[in-house]
Amino acid sequence: MRAKRLVWMRRISQTAFLGFFLFLLVESRLPEDAYLQYSLIFSGDLDLRLDHPVKFFFQLDPLVWLSSLLSGHRLMHGFGWALGLLVVTLFLGRVFCSFICPLGTIHHIAGSVKPALKGDRMIRANQKTPGQRIKYFLLITVLMTALITPNLVGLLDPISLLFRSLALAILPGTGLGLKEIFDVMAASDIKALNHLSYAAEVIVSPVFGYGYPVYKTGWLIGLIFLVILFLNRIRPRFWCRILCPLGALLGIFSRFTLLRLEKDEAACTDCKLCSRSCQGAASPMPSQIWENAECLSCFNCFDACPEGALSFKFRWAPKSNRRPDMGRRAVLGGLAAGISLPFLTKLDGTEHHVSDPRLIRPPGALPERDFLQLCQRCGLCMKACPTNVINPTLLEAGLAGFWTPHLIMVQGYCEYTCTLCGSVCPTGAIDEITAKEKIERPIKIGSAYVYRGRCLPWSGNGPCIVCQEVCPTSPKAIYLSKQVIPGPNSSLVEVNAPYVDLKKCVGCGICETKCPVKGRPAIRVIAAGESRSIQNQILLTGPVS
Amino acid sequence: METNHPITRRESLKRIARISAGFAGAALGVSPLLPTGTTHAATADNRFLVEGVGSKEGYKIKELTRKVFEAAGGMGQFVSKGDVVAIKPNISWARRPELAATTNPEVVEAVVELCLDAGAKKVRIADHTIHDARRCFALTGIGQVAKKTGADLVFPRASLLRPMKLNGHRLDVWRVFVPFVEADKVLNVPIAKVHGLSTLTLGMKNWIGGVGGRRSSLHQDIHQSIVDLAQFFNPTLTLIDATRVMITNGPSGGSPSDVAVKNTLILGNDPVAVDAKAAGLFGYQPNEIGFIRLGQKWGLGSYDPQGLTQRKVAL
Repeated sequence: MRAKRLVWMRRISQTAFLGFFLFLLVESRLPEDAYLQYSLIFSGDLDLRLDHPVKFFFQLDPLVWLSSLLSGHRLMHGFGWALGLLVVTLFLGRVFCSFICPLGTIHHIAGSVKPALKGDRMIRANQKTPGQRIKYFLLITVLMTALITPNLVGLLDPISLLFRSLALAILPGTGLGLKEIFDVMAASDIKALNHLSYAAEVIVSPVFGYGYPVYKTGWLIGLIFLVILFLNRIRPRFWCRILCPLGALLGIFSRFTLLRLEKDEAACTDCKLCSRSCQGAASPMPSQIWENAECLSCFNCFDACPEGALSFKFRWAPKSNRRPDMGRRAVLGGLAAGISLPFLTKLDGTEHHVSDPRLIRPPGALPERDFLQLCQRCGLCMKACPTNVINPTLLEAGLAGFWTPHLIMVQGYCEYTCTLCGSVCPTGAIDEITAKEKIERPIKIGSAYVYRGRCLPWSGNGPCIVCQEVCPTSPKAIYLSKQVIPGPNSSLVEVNAPYVDLKKCVGCGICETKCPVKGRPAIRVIAAGESRSIQNQILLTGPVS
Repeated sequence: METNHPITRRESLKRIARISAGFAGAALGVSPLLPTGTTHAATADNRFLVEGVGSKEGYKIKELTRKVFEAAGGMGQFVSKGDVVAIKPNISWARRPELAATTNPEVVEAVVELCLDAGAKKVRIADHTIHDARRCFALTGIGQVAKKTGADLVFPRASLLRPMKLNGHRLDVWRVFVPFVEADKVLNVPIAKVHGLSTLTLGMKNWIGGVGGRRSSLHQDIHQSIVDLAQFFNPTLTLIDATRVMITNGPSGGSPSDVAVKNTLILGNDPVAVDAKAAGLFGYQPNEIGFIRLGQKWGLGSYDPQGLTQRKVAL
């Protein structure tokens, strides 16, 4: 096939997959017309689900599949896509990196549009460096760690990284910026601007999330993403060449690729145009030996060569393929790091001793150890959550659980009959449960406690009962009792004071969210009592003798 | 925004009117100007109340709703041709309708159809829910009603919650959900339930769902807050859905055992009288309920049967 045509095929494929990724990203939330799937004959078991296959890119990602298998011993739902990709890689090399990977496409754009390096400097930047072994080191580290637990793949996996960065930082940031503009327009005295503000909000808010969600540590996630983008100015596709563990995995699998770069040394005039446009620093020049594990199959060199000295051909010649250049130090270092990291992450005692009381996991989350074996920290549950309660952790879950989901009840609450987070989790770290199970088992995520010093009735500051009103269980876990409390000016006030029945409380946190005492509410949920843990219990359970 | 600087009602209505033309994609052909005086309903001489009871096995709730409006003289008495009607059901909770935490969708469906039959140009269903609005609209069946009848569902967007002066005895400037102030006619269609603080939640209390902001602080003076809000929104009609009522564990419920079947609808133009009648279903005297007592005190209406035309229809 002609080189021009191949390059254009690649560009079309990149655009299509990036577009599909962004579409699924935007659709990873409850739509406003969620009611359309409902009939007027109501079935109690119908749970609201998303219409689109939002997990697709995670199912396609062999690293996500492999790490879930190694760590959690689970076969992911839909892992056939990942297997298929590995088979394709065996025959065609790292085509995923240049044809499909949305993060790769973003780096490709960032590195090619107004490149920082010109001419010779670009040629030099595109020479293979020993630094490219770092990605193998990282791959071995994360897989080895995953084997022992925890599974840290999600921190570096390109699909998880991109989803997390866009969903938790870039999208909310842009959305909030736009909202400010709308607010200014809505407050304006100019009629046309008011209309425009409402119309723009209707069009824009489905993209950025209806409630303009925000996420704790979003700034850090965004900052890291920007730094990774900035690295393209040092070397094009710095991330893909040097850091990406998925690229390393696919590089290893491209050992026997049949799609090979054939070089005609006699025709070469040593113009180095191939090297200048090489995305993977894979030594395309005829005077060098082609690195098939580094080649992204972008076909740029093929297209750039004015002499026709380069061409991609299918050929059965496994012997002439190069072994991926990992370097012994990267392998041994990776193994050593992969063995020590799991023990480092245990040092804070979150796994075996007492975990953070505010580490409240989503409903259906597996026991902490199993959870950390599967969670990819991708942020899909956080993006999908309709109340914005699920946020990435910073230190609540220790080093092992960095950026895993937890619930911040002052920001939202877990809606009693909502089970969306489990339905979107790509690896099953959060079980897909039904609303019926959630209510009837019940699935508890924590327990609520009244802080009497801040509580309005308990502190003699007047009636309230909001926590009891919003408590969703039946019968209510929060009950009221008439109390005579010393009030101001040596008065006595009779109030309805709230109490929590721990047997009924599921820890949903709506009491904490709606409490009129903001910031540090007078009723708060802690993780104790969560049904996923055998240890973290308060009450003696079991049948009453 | 201007939350700290109270604006006059006239001024705020003007502002709302301006915004309304772009509202809900209905900009074309909608006259945004609110005829301010006309939504006032209860005047001393024409107070009425209709009680509809479905006593026969397998009666149709929609049919009963229609009968109740017929007994009141037909929807045409209240909704004129070309009106924009806003309907306020109580759909605060993402619960299935049979749990009686939210207004029966069949009642709402019948009301929307009657409005459209009476020539309403546009019917809007809106509520500032407690649970996530998308889930509320889906699970309560109200979304389906909108889809079936062609009514607009209005989501509580930030740009539709505008600070307005309520001129209440207790409440000053609050964020008001604009569809209820910019409509020609406002119909309040709540469900009757028990409530931990206000004893009952009926028609007047339904207006807590008409405002945004720090609603959880309203509970510190709940009865006066309810009356202030009811006075501000002042609906054309109130239709209390008591086909199923919540008798315990209110206002959220969650179990079929919290529900009692009463097969009753109460329609009227006097919010106090309607609430008083519904309180009777729970065995309360009107003066036992704080907001009914206060509603009478501040002249919002009266639970005095003197001067109240009462009718009863059965099916």
